[in-house]
Amino acid sequence: MEHRTGVWRRRRVLTGLAGAGFAAALAAPAIVRAAPSGKPVRVGGTLSLTGFLAQTAVIHKIAAEMMVEDINGRNGFLGRPVEFVLLDDQSKPDVARSLYEKLITVDKVDLIQGPYATAPILAAMGVAQRYGKVMIQSSMGIPKLQTYDMAFPATPFGPEPDKTYPNVLLDMMATMPTPPKTIVVLTSKFPSAQFMAQGMREQSEKRGVKVLLYLEYESGNRDFGAIAARVKEANADFLWVGSLGLESNQLLEALRKLDYTPKTHFHLYPAPGPLALSPDGDKALCSTFLEPDEPFMSRPGMKKYAAQYNERATKANLPYTTIDAQACGMISEWQILEAGVNGANSLDDKAIAAWLKKNQVDTIYGTVKFDGPFNHGTALQLVKQVQNKAWKVVWPKEFAAPGVKLIAS
Amino acid sequence: MPSATLLGQALISGVLAGGMYGLLALGLSLSWGLLRLVNLSHFALAFLAAYLTYELGTTYHVAPWWSAMMVVPAMFAIGLVQHWLFDKFRVNELASLLITFSFAVILEVAIQLYWTADYRRFETPYSTLSFKVGAFYIPVLELILCLVAGALAWGTWLWLRRTYVGKALRAAAEDADIAAAYGVDHKKLAYLLSGLGAAYAGISGTFIALIATLAPAQIWTWLGVVFAVVIIGRLGNPLGALFAGMLIGASESLAMAVFSPAWAPVVSFSVLIAILLWNPEWA
Amino acid sequence: MGMSAAQGLPRLAAAFAVVLFALLPAAGLPAFYDSFFYLVFFWISLATSWALLSGFAGYFSLGHAAFFGVGTYTTATLTTQFGVPFLITVPIAAAMAALLGVGIGAVVFRLRRLRGELFALLTLAVTFVVATIILNTPIDGGAGVFMSAVPLPHILPTATGTIYMLGFIMCVLTLGITWWVVHARLGMGLFAIHDDEDVAEAKGVPTFRYKLAAFALSAGIAGAVGGIHAMYVGFLTVAGTFELTVPLYVVLMSVLGGARHWLGPAVGATAITALLYAFISGGEAMVGRAIVGLILIVAILWLPDGVLPAIQHWLRTRRGPGKLQVGAVVVPVVPPAAQAIKGRPLLEVRGVTKRFGGLQALAGVDLDVREGEIMGLVGPNGSGKTTLINAVSGFYPLTSGSIRVDGVEIGQASAHEIARRGVARTYQIPRPFINMTVLENVSLCATFGGATRSRAEIRDEALHWIAFTGLDGKEEALPAKLNLHERKFLELARALAARPKLLLLDEVLSGLNPAEIDNAIRLVRAIRAQGATIVFVEHLMRAVVELSDRVAVLNEGKLFALGAPRDVMRDPRVVSIYLGKAYAA
Repeated sequence: MEHRTGVWRRRRVLTGLAGAGFAAALAAPAIVRAAPSGKPVRVGGTLSLTGFLAQTAVIHKIAAEMMVEDINGRNGFLGRPVEFVLLDDQSKPDVARSLYEKLITVDKVDLIQGPYATAPILAAMGVAQRYGKVMIQSSMGIPKLQTYDMAFPATPFGPEPDKTYPNVLLDMMATMPTPPKTIVVLTSKFPSAQFMAQGMREQSEKRGVKVLLYLEYESGNRDFGAIAARVKEANADFLWVGSLGLESNQLLEALRKLDYTPKTHFHLYPAPGPLALSPDGDKALCSTFLEPDEPFMSRPGMKKYAAQYNERATKANLPYTTIDAQACGMISEWQILEAGVNGANSLDDKAIAAWLKKNQVDTIYGTVKFDGPFNHGTALQLVKQVQNKAWKVVWPKEFAAPGVKLIAS
Repeated sequence: MPSATLLGQALISGVLAGGMYGLLALGLSLSWGLLRLVNLSHFALAFLAAYLTYELGTTYHVAPWWSAMMVVPAMFAIGLVQHWLFDKFRVNELASLLITFSFAVILEVAIQLYWTADYRRFETPYSTLSFKVGAFYIPVLELILCLVAGALAWGTWLWLRRTYVGKALRAAAEDADIAAAYGVDHKKLAYLLSGLGAAYAGISGTFIALIATLAPAQIWTWLGVVFAVVIIGRLGNPLGALFAGMLIGASESLAMAVFSPAWAPVVSFSVLIAILLWNPEWA
Repeated sequence: MGMSAAQGLPRLAAAFAVVLFALLPAAGLPAFYDSFFYLVFFWISLATSWALLSGFAGYFSLGHAAFFGVGTYTTATLTTQFGVPFLITVPIAAAMAALLGVGIGAVVFRLRRLRGELFALLTLAVTFVVATIILNTPIDGGAGVFMSAVPLPHILPTATGTIYMLGFIMCVLTLGITWWVVHARLGMGLFAIHDDEDVAEAKGVPTFRYKLAAFALSAGIAGAVGGIHAMYVGFLTVAGTFELTVPLYVVLMSVLGGARHWLGPAVGATAITALLYAFISGGEAMVGRAIVGLILIVAILWLPDGVLPAIQHWLRTRRGPGKLQVGAVVVPVVPPAAQAIKGRPLLEVRGVTKRFGGLQALAGVDLDVREGEIMGLVGPNGSGKTTLINAVSGFYPLTSGSIRVDGVEIGQASAHEIARRGVARTYQIPRPFINMTVLENVSLCATFGGATRSRAEIRDEALHWIAFTGLDGKEEALPAKLNLHERKFLELARALAARPKLLLLDEVLSGLNPAEIDNAIRLVRAIRAQGATIVFVEHLMRAVVELSDRVAVLNEGKLFALGAPRDVMRDPRVVSIYLGKAYAA
């Protein structure tokens, strides 16, 4: 009972719905295309469907299924239907590694897609490198570790996000009515979060914002009471939290129990739904690459993807069904793979990689290039804020929706 | 050096967090100490209870104390069924580890199939309620949890020490054959105990739903620290479990207040090791 | 002919398996199978190394991840930060882990109270401490360690093949070491420690040294496995290395396969790894895990001692019923002439005191026991008789005073050293090693009590003493199948197998009926005729009078009276301490 059978079944069920959706959205007569046919192109990959990374991986899975159907609704890959062979790496890098080996050497998939999160991605990257497979990934937060030259990032982190992104934040802070002069940097010891936290500390000091307190806690920390007490005592103008998952919620709740609301608070990679919906999450800032708003909604396919994602997430019984940067990362991955295959007009990994290096791809993240160090192009990491329990991009200003601006406290 | 207020607040926070460890440890300590069965599914049962509380609360708007009245007896029943299995197959201590672990995995999968791996938070108006005493804040929910844990621990301790049933249980745990010669029906008592342990898991679950955010993978995050609490509090000693929980919670929290929080486990577990080496014969 | 075939077949099968797996990478299977088998070898090595201490000796460790993690990060640090070639780091990783194990053991194994769950907790706590230290220092520091750039030696043409080979070699090494341990004195001693550590020590097993050796081997193997695994994973994180999976899975695998058998953990590891991979590579990982859980539950309910013991049991029952007799009358074999009592003292007790906190159990005992005599040791309850036996045999160190056996001071020596000096004791409530047969029980005492001899010689010695105490026919029985009389005689056989100079008997007659008592008295005389000096504690007065050459009376921790049996027993002072006490109570 393998996953790909499920994809085919759902495909039949949803074709009708998708057709109706297309017609409604485009308000034009549906163009009949020839459906892809022939031997399927098998794309293999793993996601952390169980284990501690499962909450985000499920979002990736929905987005991937969505994209595969979308691609098959067009031309497939070179006229052949795409089949996504998805396995569960259980949030474990060694399992990810062995499963990618199975996909490549036993199942003999034609192409691969990257898994979710830094550790599994690096484990998979080693395998991809050994067999010369091109690998696109969307969630590795430490670009300098992407040393395999046929690996491509689908998310515009830029080659040095620990230097570029803090400056984006500091630029934003400078425009506030009362620019923050002191900062508390708190981070989980998860590699990608800690990496960015160290960057934030460094850049803050360079730009004259005093780091009152720099604290690291182990990922999986249960009790934030003492940490909250220290944060409250420091009482800085700006609180920067290198958090993942629910750590932001836990911290904010702990602060609320001490009757303390941080003046301005930023969270790095929290689970977006819980933070936006939390009573303590109002005006929280967070990193993002895209939100379902203008100017992003006008990007090709965005409206359709947002609607489809919402529908599928609801069906899958997820509590938070709005499309977000994580889902878009996966969408971007498939857009890049499709572009690479079509651009190189081949399923050969080397050809695809060569084409990607020389060209740019229009994804929902905008135009993504791969010409910088570690195949990373320009950084495009943005800042969003919780306003009325929804995430709104607020910085840089050109990416904020009309009428939306940063609400300083 | 951190201020007295900070230290005091950290101490309060740690002791209250330790209440949760103690509450979870209670059921585990009873079955391990008195039934010689290591019940790893205790955590999974607690989370099942938590998810049920969440479901009843969000979908059917049942208040937590009412849902507890449904969930806790259900857990008790599950405990009885579990023990029936152990009894019928005469499971020994090591085998119980394997069986309860597998049972926990099955529960985790069932939870994930129904509620998905995504985070679930049971929002209530009183989740972040706290009141001020002098310079310190005391969170209400955690305080209630500690009071309930304390009452349960104290009550269980009294029950084991003062009542016939309790004494019979302890006798049977020491030497079932001799106890039987004195008319102690070990079988029935063991069922009662197993059900009780599961019921305690259910009560823990109610509080977990109120205080924490739920995800299936979280089932395993408490395992290490609660094991430590059970052992340091001595098996089968309910008050010991609670006290040990608070001790570990407090040492973790104070360590986080003074040092880099990431160092906290070194401090609390070194304290543990020191206690073990110098004097484990306490309580 | 039948015997050699039974031995030869498993060996042939083992050799065949080794050759098969050594040549597997050359078979041209897809590389995934290299990785899959590597993982099987990985878990076999880890589970088997865990069982070395925890399964064999019963010291349940929850800290296997600490040694594994130390090994992993030793290799990671040496290769990435110091450029040490990978292969060299593996033995270093093993050494570091073994060092940690020995360090823990040196402190913990001396403390009698730190057994059972407390030992489990200690090892768990050590894991947390080690993990946190690594997380907060430049060893990892939280950033993780990127291993993919470290060059792998070209043992085989492919990287997966090389890692496969390393895992395979490690597995063969581990199983080889474990097989050797099981068949050596170390293994025998570990199994005895598992059943009853204090008795093992009293029988001459150097328990501290053996536990340390087992721990060092266990930790060292885990460290080496960890070092190799660092190259497999590619990117190391503290959370991933020290997670609960390793310590928990090794327990589960050992329990499933049979934790006391050298091949048990390997069977469990193979079964669980294969099951897990069968499901996760099929795409329905979540449901698959639940199904694996269900299979494990059924398996252990059906085979509660593990797979291998169940298979062994089945093979044994298939071979046909053994030569177990039921209810045989036990008649001791009595040699013809009695030996003369020599003049010199074999046991010299001088001013021995023993305090337990506020309780003074022995308040200054002076006693000489002549070589070849049978001395009865009597006294009211609480007078210190068993304490004196315990002190002489080394169960307690003395508070003050001296004890000399055959001229050698043993007052502060450890029990196993005292045993090697020729002192043996029995226990009032028999304490046989419950998981060993009668023959194995006696053989162990012969092995550790006497000079080093060949297996055949020890076996003959053991059979001799089993026959001497009238237990012949019951060699393959487990102690649970013996009645009280037989178990008491097993105690005697075990004590005799060590050929002691001094035999201390603690209420060997209690619980026996009159016919059995007569038997026992005959046996004690026969033992003395063999050349042993005997001190026996007893409440049964007629036996004391019949057997003893002299009687010593203890009262309130001091020697109260000493002399010929009839004189002492008729002494009015002695009568009063018995009657007086009984009257007052």
